[in-house]
Amino acid sequence: MRKILPDLCLLAAMPLLVYSVHRVFLETPIERQMGTAFKIFFFHVPMGWLCMLMAVICGVAAGVQLRRRSAVAGAVALAAAELGFVTGLGVLLTGPIWGSATWGTPWTGDARQVTTALLWLVIAAYLLLRHYGPRSSDRLAAALAIFGAVNVPIIYYAVKLWKTMHPSTGVVASLPPEMWATFWPGLIALALCTLALFGLRTRQLVLADELDAAWVRLDDNL
Amino acid sequence: MSAAALRPDAEQPAPVAALTGVAQRFGRQVVLRSVDLELPAGTIVGLVGANGAGKTTLFSILAGLLQPDAGERHLFGSPADEVDAAARARLAYVAHAPQLYAGLSARENLALFADLRRACGLTTRPADEVLLALGLPLAVLDRPLATHSRGMAQRVALARALAGRPELLLLDEPFTALDARGREQLAQVLLAERARGAAILLSSHDFDTLLAICDRVVLLERGALVRSAAHEGDRAEFRRSAAAIWQAGPDDPVSPAPDLC
Amino acid sequence: MRVVRQAVLLLRSELRQELRDFELLLSAGFFTLVLLAMFYLSFASLPVKHSLPAVPAMLWLTIAFVGVLTLTRAFDREREADTLRALLAAPVERLAIYLAKAALCLLVLMLCCLVLVPGLWLMFPGGAAFAEQPGQTALLVLLGCGGYVAVGTLFAAGLATGGGKNTLLFIILYPLTTPILLYALATTRALLDRHPDLPGFLGQMAALDLILFALAALLFETVLVGAGVAHRPRDRPRDRNLSRKPAP
Repeated sequence: MRKILPDLCLLAAMPLLVYSVHRVFLETPIERQMGTAFKIFFFHVPMGWLCMLMAVICGVAAGVQLRRRSAVAGAVALAAAELGFVTGLGVLLTGPIWGSATWGTPWTGDARQVTTALLWLVIAAYLLLRHYGPRSSDRLAAALAIFGAVNVPIIYYAVKLWKTMHPSTGVVASLPPEMWATFWPGLIALALCTLALFGLRTRQLVLADELDAAWVRLDDNL
Repeated sequence: MSAAALRPDAEQPAPVAALTGVAQRFGRQVVLRSVDLELPAGTIVGLVGANGAGKTTLFSILAGLLQPDAGERHLFGSPADEVDAAARARLAYVAHAPQLYAGLSARENLALFADLRRACGLTTRPADEVLLALGLPLAVLDRPLATHSRGMAQRVALARALAGRPELLLLDEPFTALDARGREQLAQVLLAERARGAAILLSSHDFDTLLAICDRVVLLERGALVRSAAHEGDRAEFRRSAAAIWQAGPDDPVSPAPDLC
Repeated sequence: MRVVRQAVLLLRSELRQELRDFELLLSAGFFTLVLLAMFYLSFASLPVKHSLPAVPAMLWLTIAFVGVLTLTRAFDREREADTLRALLAAPVERLAIYLAKAALCLLVLMLCCLVLVPGLWLMFPGGAAFAEQPGQTALLVLLGCGGYVAVGTLFAAGLATGGGKNTLLFIILYPLTTPILLYALATTRALLDRHPDLPGFLGQMAALDLILFALAALLFETVLVGAGVAHRPRDRPRDRNLSRKPAP
């Protein structure tokens, strides 16, 4: 069951993704103030939430990896960071497009934007350390992930504090309820895709480690 | 070669340090496969092996600088999942490099570590006593460490380790960089430590010196302790079996000898 | 208590080495001067109105750059002769090692700020408030550098024992220290604006320092030597005796 769970997720996501794209572009009325550009919302926000989720998973898994010295937790943390990197990149690319269409500027320096951008930098630093660090850097990378997770709320608050010095007017309009009906299928479809990829990547990393162990045993018996 | 087989007499008290099935690997690079080793009190165990056989990793695990991937570590009669400060106070590790601060004089280096021990309420013996036994003239102690030869720095590092009267002494290649007289003096010091009751693990490429002072010699090869020879009263027999271990190539079976596993 | 005593001993030894060659202090101080000169060349013509937001940025960018240099050099001293491993194998509380290194780096950074802050005050009209509130300025710089060093020491130490590649510190430290640097930026701006809430900002910075410091201290030993959950021998590799039978 665990083996085919990611495939089942992908399978379920496929029709849902088609349905949600159909709803976004054909069923949902054009938003009055922001126009067509508002459609980005249905991809931007789910990716933002998923990025946060992946960052939290990465931080928690890194804590488990440090505490229990579990290789599986290390694989989970790496897979979560990689997916957080991808979804974060999606957020950072779609956000400014939406922003420039609605606010007239791609970047307002709003607390959420800055927090996402800095979180993405931490994830990138984590991946760099995991891939290019010295032999024992797994533990150091785990500490980095934990610090990164703790940093998220602090950065958010710090930027808000910083913004009180720089008042700005970028405020997202509140959403009419019929938009949410389109939003949820899209969120579920993207979440299923992300979780499926996350599961596949974790299993791949665990298998790679097991393969290393198998090579070692083979060497032993030569 | 189980742990029990390595122990000369099963009725002896618990060894000072013991490793059971200890393994360490980094990805596909295996450093230690499955090491069983016991270091009883009052014995000197010689560790031989080619470069890269995993000797330094073995020392690091015993000294608590590295946590093994698998296996158990016992120190001073109890399981040591973590080597805490209390356990570290009872062991001393002299690494391959002297590990001394180049900006301090030899005396300051020794004083720093003695003070650090004193801060936990531990005593040390005067460093001068050890240094003299190791043949280091006290006049050079106040010179900056950068002006010391490698051999002199090695003596200072040994003195730092011996000053705490450790129950477990881990010496990674202590004879390197010492001249013939220095080796002789260190051998005498180590025999005195053994008489005091310390367990000593000693690695060296200098096989003759090892044979002269060790009670047992084990060969670490490709991350596993593969063969061992024990000294059981007859020096010549020990020398013969130990030499057989040393000379056997990686895949050669060892010729029959009394204490092979 | 033992931790404090050992930390003091280690710090004293660090200071003794530093007072012999002043390497850390001179290189960090010189780098501060170089950065200050570069900022002056870049921004000397800035009108007063614009120099007000630029001064906090210059202050904390310089501290961020000089901080990495200081942390790297402080641990290079340990790397050269592998002395950190000697300390880790000695009966020294690991927390004491962290405290001593952090205190040394904080001290060096604060001494650099003795050059940096008056320099910014002299060069840019926006920095005039530094001279009017010397006490608050000193506290602000202390809290900002403290939080930065609390995080930096952990990661510099982790890279120093990892063997090579301490250039990675530049990559991993900046994203991680953004919260404290952002806070310091906002607080510096409040100080320059003579904001009435300045004590509140300083209090929040102190709380943040405490969080970062506690987290780093908690992780220090685990990062350096690993947690001690030994796996039981059930998953030990296959017995090598299968392959290494003695000759008949």
